[in-house]
Amino acid sequence: MDTSDQNHTLILVNQLGELDTIRECIANLIKAWNIHPSFEFPLNMVLEEAFTNVIRYAFDDDSEHEIELNFNRQDDCLIITLTDDGQPYDPTAKADPDTALPASDRPIGGLGIFLVKKYMDEVRYRRHNNKNQLISVKKLSI
Amino acid sequence: MKTEVSQLNEYLVLNLIGRLDTVQAPALEKKMLEILDQGHDKIILDCKEMDYISSSGLRIFLIAQKRMMGISGTLRICNLQSNIGEVFEISGFSLIFSIYPDLESAIIN
Repeated sequence: MDTSDQNHTLILVNQLGELDTIRECIANLIKAWNIHPSFEFPLNMVLEEAFTNVIRYAFDDDSEHEIELNFNRQDDCLIITLTDDGQPYDPTAKADPDTALPASDRPIGGLGIFLVKKYMDEVRYRRHNNKNQLISVKKLSI
Repeated sequence: MKTEVSQLNEYLVLNLIGRLDTVQAPALEKKMLEILDQGHDKIILDCKEMDYISSSGLRIFLIAQKRMMGISGTLRICNLQSNIGEVFEISGFSLIFSIYPDLESAIIN
């Protein structure tokens, strides 16, 4: 891949199989952009959560949709933008789960976007050109 | 993800091997529910060779814990890799599971 400008875009479709494509891309970027390998696990997890969230909730039909995933490295920050053409949906508006509850009171599920928020340094949503954009930033300093 | 089941003392030990992601989770959930349906009341999930987890995997751990609490059973987790231990901390799962550093201590304690 051409990673010289430290900007890389993947065009994906709304299929879970694309998680392999994302994983391979992260592994390549980590090497090409000299990112510390300890970021591989959290970046994989965050993107799995964000991407599967889009697949599950953004579309109200069974058609194939393009989902754009952009990685942009600026100094010690990695900015990841996930763009879909689904119905307006702001995942960041969802209330965080109460992680202090005992097991009996913990609901099954609902941790995905919470993990994205916890692992990234900044997460924001915007509706832009009739598309959903989830923009998240990870500081790459150790 | 591969799973290996063995019996060690009074515990059923489930060795989880590989990645527990959205794609792999349904197969493990099926396997876990089969085991729970068999009525085992002492289970150890050995995560020594589990090198990735996402919320789809956490969900299965919570399902198992709720079921085991319902029958006053014992569910223990051991050998969490450090990345995964951190996910458990952040999710509050380290508060709701009995987590042991290795299989030996999970069995003895």
